[in-house]
Amino acid sequence: MTKQRMPAVKTADVWKVFEHDGLAVEAVRGVSLDIEPGEFVVLAGPSGSGKTTLLNLLGGLTRPTRGGVWIDGRDLTSMSERELAKLRLERVGFVFQAYNLLPVLTALENAEFSLLLRGIPPDERRRRVEELFAVIGMTGLEDRRPAKLSGGEQQRVAVARAVVGKPALVLADEPTANLDSAASDALLGVMADLNRERGTTFVFATHDTRLMERAKRLIRLVDGAIESDDVRQDMGG
Amino acid sequence: MNGRLRVLPLLAIRNVRRQARRSLLTASAMALGVAVLVFSRTLADGGHEDWIESGVRLGSGHVAFQAPRFRATSNIEDRLTASAAATAQEALGVPGVAEHVRNVAPRLEVQGLANSPTAAVPVAIVGVNPDLEATFSELADRVVEGRYLQAGDRLHAYVGTRLADRLDLEVGSRLVLTAQDARDEIAGQFVRVVGIFRSGLPVADERLVHIPIGTAQSWLGVGADVTTVAVLLESGWVVPDVLQRLHDVLAGTSENLVVLGWQEAMPQLDAAIKVDDLGNYIFNFILYAIIILAIVNTVLMSVMYRTREFGLLRALGLTKRQTAALVFGEGVFLTAVSGVIGMVLGFGFTWVFFRNGLDFSFMLDNDFTFSGVVLEPVIVPAFRLVQVVRSLATIAFVGVLASLYPAYRATRIDLAEAMKFEA
Repeated sequence: MTKQRMPAVKTADVWKVFEHDGLAVEAVRGVSLDIEPGEFVVLAGPSGSGKTTLLNLLGGLTRPTRGGVWIDGRDLTSMSERELAKLRLERVGFVFQAYNLLPVLTALENAEFSLLLRGIPPDERRRRVEELFAVIGMTGLEDRRPAKLSGGEQQRVAVARAVVGKPALVLADEPTANLDSAASDALLGVMADLNRERGTTFVFATHDTRLMERAKRLIRLVDGAIESDDVRQDMGG
Repeated sequence: MNGRLRVLPLLAIRNVRRQARRSLLTASAMALGVAVLVFSRTLADGGHEDWIESGVRLGSGHVAFQAPRFRATSNIEDRLTASAAATAQEALGVPGVAEHVRNVAPRLEVQGLANSPTAAVPVAIVGVNPDLEATFSELADRVVEGRYLQAGDRLHAYVGTRLADRLDLEVGSRLVLTAQDARDEIAGQFVRVVGIFRSGLPVADERLVHIPIGTAQSWLGVGADVTTVAVLLESGWVVPDVLQRLHDVLAGTSENLVVLGWQEAMPQLDAAIKVDDLGNYIFNFILYAIIILAIVNTVLMSVMYRTREFGLLRALGLTKRQTAALVFGEGVFLTAVSGVIGMVLGFGFTWVFFRNGLDFSFMLDNDFTFSGVVLEPVIVPAFRLVQVVRSLATIAFVGVLASLYPAYRATRIDLAEAMKFEA
């Protein structure tokens, strides 16, 4: 018996319109897409093309003006604030451009934060985080606060936090924007490995060409709408 | 949910510690404010206790048994029979009362005239048991000439300096007291001055005459009757409980007898303490308002500064309510720590430096009177458990109140906008 495969995230004619000084600004215009589990997707486009807004819509950080968004088949538009928060906690991982970590927590505490919120027992939390830290090269830095970590190390902790709860998808908004080449490559390598070895679904918003080169699927946005959607089987990892 | 319950207090405490300098400055200001409040409260309570003590010792005690109309009429017709006085004494022996009683003094009080060859002055004549009264009333300690009454005295009187001046009396002088007796006739009694006192209270020094109670009872023809059974308790704080217990005990009695608290017997002093308390409460209110503003400022600044962080927390799965709880927890933690430090400082400072009293004699002359009592120039602070409980409750309330607005502000942060915010 085969189980019908459900998209990790799906949108249907989703729009986001902001009111700005009395003017309606269409940040996302009628985007429809399906992203399957295990995909490594890059949303590319110039500044103001709607990448971040679309990413926020996919993660339930903002509600669409119209249209639908589903994660694991669950309709985000019909959810209450509390249900959305629970969904973000359990099914979505986020990696932002900067200031990703809680400054008062250590690297390990930051990485296990979502597990802590979900009530996972300490031993299990520690096991999962240490295993991930070994994969992403953070072993030995568990007790450091973010201020004592480099930008690349901070982003790797953010990635660990995003994937540790085994979410349906990880959304990353310009994760390499503040990193130098070496740190960017290392971070992208970590995420590509996690995608390949664990099947973690990644969706990036970026205009970093190195990241675009690694994408298995590259979606180009222009003025809030999809201009192209290319699946590149040979790329990634 | 257990994980969330654990992580929020941890975050709150670490966030307070994170802005160490700002938190420390706020906490110091709050601790100092609470310390000042505690100091002023203990001093005010101590001062009030002194006022009450002074008032009740010179007056009719913390509680007094009288005939129902006596306080209004001061007429000897409205007196306690010997049996009613005995009932009062029995009531003072019941559990819940007996352990608080320090002294009991039966008195026979009448309004009359004091006459000497040179003048006549209206006076309050009080027949007293000298032995009991010597430890009850402060008058016995205020002798300026001669001595206080003693057991065995009969035709002796103890008068104030002002009365002695007006009647041109000295120790050994004779005077005639006249008053309405039990038969409703004017009766006179020769007495000889055995001592002169100076209480510092003009009305007492001019109008009060103590004579032996046996002399008064026989002169006025009242047998063993008295007008008042005055009771001194261990402190003013137990008066409400003792009064309630006495009311309960006397509820079934057929005697013509009421029991009054000092507030009813000395309404002026009661009002003065309430007015003074009101002043203190206004001062406390201002100080607490300043403390609240300090907390609001610190926590709110922290909220504004951490917009991005709150956005991150929400993105990671915290609900609005949990985000508010985090900010609320920071405010309450800051208040709790500062408040407890302030209380320890306040009580500690007051105890170490002023437990034997704060001397205001440089501000007051020795005869400073207020609402029928002579103010002592040295105020001894009062330390009571109820102060600690009240202070803690007030601090908790202040912490909750001051943390509400910043917590509310944290819930108003737009998630998507917050993630654009450059921290």
